[in-house]
Amino acid sequence: MKFGLFYELSVPRPWTRESERTVYMNALEQVRLADELGFDQVWAVEHHFLEEYSHCPAPELFLTACAMITKRMRVGHGIVICVPEFNHPIKIAERTAVLDILSGGRLEVGTGRSATWTELGGFRANPDTTKKSWDEFVRCLPKMWTQETYAYDGEFWSMPERTIVPKVYQRPHPPLWVAVTTPGTELDAAERGLGSLGLTFGQFAEQEKRIAEYRRRIRNCEPVGAFVNDQVSTVNFLYCHEDDTTARNTGRRMADTFNYLASQLISAREAFPSRSYQSLGLLPQLRRQATGPDASEQAGEGLAFGGPQRVLHALKRWEAVGVDRVNFLLNAIEVIPQADVLASLRLFAKEVMPAFADDKPASGAVSS
Amino acid sequence: MCALDTEIWPLPNADILQLAFEVPRTTESLLPRAMHPAIPPYATIWVTRYPESPVGPFILAQLRLMARAGAHPRGLVLGAVASTEEAAAALRERWGLPAVSGKVTFTRRHDRIMATAVRDGLTVLECELVDPEAISGSDVQYIHSVALANAPLDGKTGPLLVQVDSRYTIKKAERGRPRVNILLPEPWGAGPLRPGHPIAATVTTCDTDLPRIRFVMNVETPVVRGTRRIRESREE
Repeated sequence: MKFGLFYELSVPRPWTRESERTVYMNALEQVRLADELGFDQVWAVEHHFLEEYSHCPAPELFLTACAMITKRMRVGHGIVICVPEFNHPIKIAERTAVLDILSGGRLEVGTGRSATWTELGGFRANPDTTKKSWDEFVRCLPKMWTQETYAYDGEFWSMPERTIVPKVYQRPHPPLWVAVTTPGTELDAAERGLGSLGLTFGQFAEQEKRIAEYRRRIRNCEPVGAFVNDQVSTVNFLYCHEDDTTARNTGRRMADTFNYLASQLISAREAFPSRSYQSLGLLPQLRRQATGPDASEQAGEGLAFGGPQRVLHALKRWEAVGVDRVNFLLNAIEVIPQADVLASLRLFAKEVMPAFADDKPASGAVSS
Repeated sequence: MCALDTEIWPLPNADILQLAFEVPRTTESLLPRAMHPAIPPYATIWVTRYPESPVGPFILAQLRLMARAGAHPRGLVLGAVASTEEAAAALRERWGLPAVSGKVTFTRRHDRIMATAVRDGLTVLECELVDPEAISGSDVQYIHSVALANAPLDGKTGPLLVQVDSRYTIKKAERGRPRVNILLPEPWGAGPLRPGHPIAATVTTCDTDLPRIRFVMNVETPVVRGTRRIRESREE
């Protein structure tokens, strides 16, 4: 199992000139340390207008900074929004290629479509069509990265024949993933040969069932890229401390804060009834976990906060249900002091990571 | 309100027209301290035609500012106009809704569903859903309401937020474009509210109810600390 960091870059009010910079600088300090400690990857979201919850609209810039201060960690878009009002596909291909070059071939590309009216409405995107545009974009991207010239005429965008440069550094191309927040999206990932980039915190039995189905489906996939990225990643909170009670209280505070911030946003489904957003999605799930029937001790199932033994036990359970990678949120609106976050990372690396060591770096191209 | 133990009202075969639209940030001033604005702020107009009720058929128009009570989405009812005096009185007394009586219409045409509300000869609402298209009822999510009312609790009567968590069994649903032609903010108690970027409009036919009251909230205290459970079940 591989471990990584996952950044929303949440910034508490009141916003001062320095507050956003502090969050970014703290994150970079954590990334630098994580690289030294042996973490395998760092991911950053693309979100817009999500006050306090996420001030990370330009992940490619943050990830470039990460790549420049690290030696071995892979850098991942978690995710790039594949909706034309947000990002033109040519720009996605170009930006990701540059980042792959600058990082020396350490790029991972998560794809997705946004799940909030806050964002979709802000860009005046049509929620009905985001899944279709995502599907179109992910089929184009590998070809734009790898073909000498490219031309396209689709439903959401088109271009005459051009040479898109530069090309990606990795061969054949960086691993592709799909953000999986709603049940069923992991099957969309499997059918296209894409990695499942889980963004929900949640419970073993449910995840085990979904992972098993993903593995079954991906065996017969029609890959959109040049290889099948048969990997399952999930997200978790991390706070590790010698004193188990301290760790659990601190971790719970971080998780509750994160979930509360998420619940203030407007999910697509809340405001705009659409077949395209049929299931609850991430925000309502987090809302339930914050204060609903799931806000119990059981809701903490699998969360990586506690003493080293508790965290180890939780992660071994994730490994047993089939997860290949776990990416950790380390903070939420800086409720945990930076020194404590760094200490948590060090303790985790010392006491927990060795139990999962296999000496192989994270890689996307695991089957073809 | 004189009591928090009102009985449930079954309301079969109701037609609900809902229009959602973004509203200015200044509407945050309308929220009690216990609630948090949605990001971005938005409001809904609800016009419901009840063909059957314990007080006979009536139509109810409501303006709700959508917000959060803790982590839960809720619509604060800013104002309501009921088409009969008896309905308005019952809604005020039993659920704390700020209902007044007036003339309310709900009109279905082949290409739109229109609604109006008139108070004291003044048209305070004129809105419509344009170009309805069938959608699945399971795609429609109705957010529970809260009403700011003077209500009795622990032997004292004072301002409380009363949660009205109706149930909906949707039989038919359509979605279209929302259009608000007239919305006079003052009669709705909605000072700075002006309709902004339209989101969506839906019309459904459903079996619904007005429930027994389960929760009330302190107006000034964050709901995590300021919520009182009145009873376990909305039916008991």
